[in-house]
Order: sequence, then structure tokens, then C-alpha cells
Amino acid sequence: MNVPAIRVESLVKRYGSLAAVDNISFTVQKGEIFAFLGPNGAGKTTTVEILECLRKATSGHAYVLGFDVGKDGREIKKRIGVLPQDFNSFDLLTVKETIEYYAAMFGAKVDAVRLVRLVDLMDKKDAYFKNLSGGLKQRLGVAVALVNDPEVLFLDEPTAGLDPNARHEVWNVIRGLKQQGKTVFLTTHYMEEAEVLADVVIIIHRGKIVAEGTPEELIHKYGKRNFLVLKKIDRSSVPVVEGMGLEVGYDEVKGEIQVHLNQHSGISEILQALAVKNIGFGELELKHSSLEDVFLNLTGEKLSVEVEAE
Amino acid sequence: MNRVLVDLLASLRLYFRNRTTLFWSIAFPCILIILFGAIFSYSTTSYDLYVQNMDVENGQATPVSMLLIEALNVTRAFSIKPVEASVNATQYAIDNKLSALLVIPEGFQNETLAANFTHGVVSSQLTLIYDQSSTTGLTTLSIVRGVVNEFDLQFSSRPHYIVTQPQTIAPGRFSFIDFFVPGVVGIGAMTLSIFGAVEINTRYRENGILHKIATTPLTRIEWIVSKTIFRILMSFFSMGIIIIVGVLVFGVKVMVDPVSALMVAACSMLFSGIGMILSRFVRDADAADSAANAVTFPMMVLSGSFFPLEMMPPFIRSIATVLPLTYVNNGLRDAMIYGNQLSAAYDTALIVALGVVVLIVGSFITKWEED
Repeated sequence: MNVPAIRVESLVKRYGSLAAVDNISFTVQKGEIFAFLGPNGAGKTTTVEILECLRKATSGHAYVLGFDVGKDGREIKKRIGVLPQDFNSFDLLTVKETIEYYAAMFGAKVDAVRLVRLVDLMDKKDAYFKNLSGGLKQRLGVAVALVNDPEVLFLDEPTAGLDPNARHEVWNVIRGLKQQGKTVFLTTHYMEEAEVLADVVIIIHRGKIVAEGTPEELIHKYGKRNFLVLKKIDRSSVPVVEGMGLEVGYDEVKGEIQVHLNQHSGISEILQALAVKNIGFGELELKHSSLEDVFLNLTGEKLSVEVEAE
Repeated sequence: MNRVLVDLLASLRLYFRNRTTLFWSIAFPCILIILFGAIFSYSTTSYDLYVQNMDVENGQATPVSMLLIEALNVTRAFSIKPVEASVNATQYAIDNKLSALLVIPEGFQNETLAANFTHGVVSSQLTLIYDQSSTTGLTTLSIVRGVVNEFDLQFSSRPHYIVTQPQTIAPGRFSFIDFFVPGVVGIGAMTLSIFGAVEINTRYRENGILHKIATTPLTRIEWIVSKTIFRILMSFFSMGIIIIVGVLVFGVKVMVDPVSALMVAACSMLFSGIGMILSRFVRDADAADSAANAVTFPMMVLSGSFFPLEMMPPFIRSIATVLPLTYVNNGLRDAMIYGNQLSAAYDTALIVALGVVVLIVGSFITKWEED
């Protein structure tokens, strides 16, 4: 029988009256990149720390590679790799020494140089940890998470606080892990990260799972499909488009309308209707729904501001 | 065991690579020795003078011996405290940790009169038993000699008919700095261990290193064992530095034996445990550092590390009896200075027992898993 990488059943974690994790259940199959998506404080880190045997659940069950997190901590720890949020290590150990230190903790003989090369840190292998940039530290964190050749990797906000270039470097490393057949449990509040990397996404909000599926399934099911943006356009365009049975929003500040497209009215019909009324516009842009929209639609809240700002 | 060794080696590597930490761990005890050693080498004060008057006739102290005691009394330098004639003076001074005990021998009056009569062909002799570890001991010797010379002049118009023979309590000839060194060794082991434990358990928790470590198979106990061994080794390192500086700068004469080494290790264990307990309840790193200061600073002052306890008021002496550093100081001085291994072993056994208990409590309440 094929044991799933992770199985969670009715998991609850309470702090007093607050349910940080509120009766969640899900399964992660081996070899998947599984994204746990939600804003800060949604319960992602609490869940992942229960799976890493660092916290005790209030109730429910969780299994990693068939081992019970409440009873088999030592067995689980031998088989998983963890990149904690904001990975930190000993300031005055070098990159290579840090990998060797953690390998020794697992009793593993590791080719440190191979791991250094895997995360593209060869030119920094003798640099002290304290002298690495945020992105390099995270890449070292990924290498450290691999010292025991784990079957399951938990990557908690692996790119939080990184600049776009560093983020893409870490993404490349994570893609490489999937190619090696590793199961990756990724927690993130960056929708783009989940969208780009994940095979399966779970959206968690205030401790509860609000949606589960592939990114495409979620966007199709909960996104508002594509929408058309017309810039430098007069407000008089709004009733014209609404008259076509379309949902439309007008941004007074930017002077633009956003039209949610449906299967019945295409772009050409809209443009034609505006031309008939002699309403002109500056630019035209076609946008696609994303997990951000999915989250907004499901919870009424925005998931992430930082990615958009970048 | 391999994990403990690897972590221990990493700790040593981190310690010796951190030049600031290394500098201060060497500089701090050196500053203490040089500064306080210099101060105490020249400090003067006045204290209790115990007097055993054995010159008795018909159940009464002889007039000459009474005159001498009165001469000492009028200087107001001393508070004269009588000691029974029947006790062994040297043992009494050791047992009661006296700074100075003057013995007026039987026949003192007759010898003094004979000295006067023979113009110094015969002399009379007093014995002052004193503790060189105490600044008061040396000062007392100096004042007693001055008073006796004055008494001699008034009594016979010529000096040196009466001789004050000094007798030290400790073997060999030691200066005060020799006695100060064990105090600094104790302080070194205490501060290294308590602040080291606080640092590891608060800063590593705050910056996430403990979190990462907790995801590995390294157990909490292995981690604690490794860090405790590391702090014991650092305490030995500090002890070595202190003794080397003491030898080079002040020419100290101290002995390092298994008992003193065991005491330093036990002291390190004890204060590692206290540091772990503190950092369990005061979780903020800076606040825990302050809490450790609040524990160590009064202990340095009140347990006789810098100042001899006999200088302290009685209520402070009673506080000192419940401070573990007092027993560390006493044990180290007994082992390193007095050569009193039995007494040192007693204090060491006490600190070992306390150290083991506190370390177990500290280990038990140190948590990696969150609630």
C-alpha cells in the first residue's frame, strides 16, 4: 500500500479560546510540491511545526511517511528536512562547516561540496554565515535541509523578505528538488510562489481550509476569469458596458475601468459598443485571474501586498 | 555521543573565532586581578583582635599582661575579644576563620620584668597568629607591633625587650593576591557559565537556531551535555588565564589539584543550571542577561570574592552562608591556598551535589518543543 507523504486528520491547535488550527484535514502524496497558502497568522506555521514534531496538537492526528507526529518524533526527524522561516545559523561557521555540522547531527556522511554546488554557493563555501546576504542564507538553509537526503522537505516561507532575483534563485532550487523525487511541503503567503511551484495548493484562512486543488482548478473555480482594463477612459463608459450585462468597476483616480469578461461578451463586442457611443480610451490591457483573486474572492481579504509592490 | 562531540567542537570553534568574546573572557578576569589585587595589597582597616591571655597568677591575669591589653585597647584600633586559655590558639584561629589572635604566654610578666632587669639579655615573647589572606591580618600585625614597641619603651625605656613573633595560619608565605586568585577563578567560572547558558537559551531561541536544531535528531539532553562540557572547558581555560596572569604579574603561589578542578567544574555546572532556569522564565534575551547580572553581581560582593567576609556586617555574613559562591570561594581557597583538602572536599561535595540538582532541574525545564 502506498503510504502518503503526509496525512492530516481533523487537526486542531488551540491557544486558550483561539483556534490557530481549526479542524483541518488533507493529504500530500509523495513527490508532490504541496503549497500551504495563507496570510500571516492563518495557521500555516503552527500546522507545519506540528508536522515537524515541534508543537503538540490539541486534538486530531497527523502522520508523516506513516509515522505519528505525536509518538514517532525521532523517526520522523530522521526522514525530513526543514527550512524554518527566516533560517538562521551560527554566525562564525562557514557555509561548508554549517552543512557538515548539520549532517553530523543526522549521523549522515554528506558530500558538502555537492550540496554547496546544488544551491549554487560554491564561491561562498568558505564565507561565514554572518557575511551572507538574505538570499544566500536561504539557499544555504535549503542545502542544510537536504543533508540527510530527506524524503519530505518542509520549506516554511522560503522566500520571505527576499528580493525578486533571490526569490527566483530559491524557486529554481525547489524545482530541482521535485526533479529528484522529493516531496516538498511549502508554506507561503506569496500566491505567485504557490502558483509557479505547486502541484497542489491548500488555502488556509483563520485556521480553516477554505479551498484545495491544483492552482488551475482553484483559479477556474474561484477566480473571476479574465478581465479587460481600459485606461484613460471617461466614466460614461460604465453604463455602456453594464448595458451589455457585464460586471464593471471604475477607478476614479486612475481613470480606468475593469471589465470582467464572460463567455458571452468578448473584447471585440465591448470595443465596438464603446466606438458606437464615440467613447475613446488610452491603453488596453488583458489580465488573468490568479490565486490572489481566488483568495480575495474566498475570504474578502487580500493575501499579499509585497509581491504586487515588487 | 558523536553529535555531542561535533556540537562541542563547533562551540569551541565559534568561541575562539569570536574575538570580542575571547578578548573579554581573558580581559575580564585579568582586570579583576590587577585592579582588585592592587587595591587590596595596600588597603588598611581595623578589626577584631582576639587575645588569649595565658599569663595568670592565682586565677587573675597578671598586671603586666593587663597593661599590655589596655595599651592595645586604648589605640581604639581593635575590638579586643578574649579567648579561653585552655584552647589550642592556632586551631581556634583556623576553625573560627580569625584574622588575628594574640597569644600572651604564661610567664609573660616575669619575662618582661627580667628583660628589663637584665637590659634585654632576656626577652619576652608574644605570638600573633594571623591570616595573610585577610588584609586585616597584615594590618593587625603591624599595629600590634607598634603598640608593643611603644609599651616596651614606656615600660623599660628601651625597645625590643618584648618580641612579637608572627605566626601565619596558612602554610608557606603568601601575599594577599594569592588568596584573591581563587575568588577570581570562582567568578570566572560563574559568569562564563551563567551568561553562556542564558545566551544559548535566549538568543538562539530568538534568532531561530534552537528551532532549527530541534528539527534534527540531536536530543535536548545531548545538546545540554555538550554545552555544559563546553562551559566547563571554558571555565578551566579562564582558570588557566587567571593563574598565568597572577603568576606573571604578582608571582602568586597557588596549587591546582583535582579538588580545585572538580570545584571549578561543579561551579560551572551549577551556574549553567541557574542560567537555564533563568532563561526559561525570562525569555527575552536582554532581560535574561539583566537577570543574570542581578544574580551574579550581588553574589560577587557578598560571598567574599573581593572582600573578606570578616569585613562585612553580621547580617551580610549570614546572607553569605546561603550563597553558593561562598562555598566555591571557601573550597577553592582551601584547596589552592591552605592545602586543606578535607575542608575543600566538603565544600566541593556540596557544590557538586547542588550543581547536579540544579543542572537536572534546568535541563528538565528547558524546552525545545513549543506549547
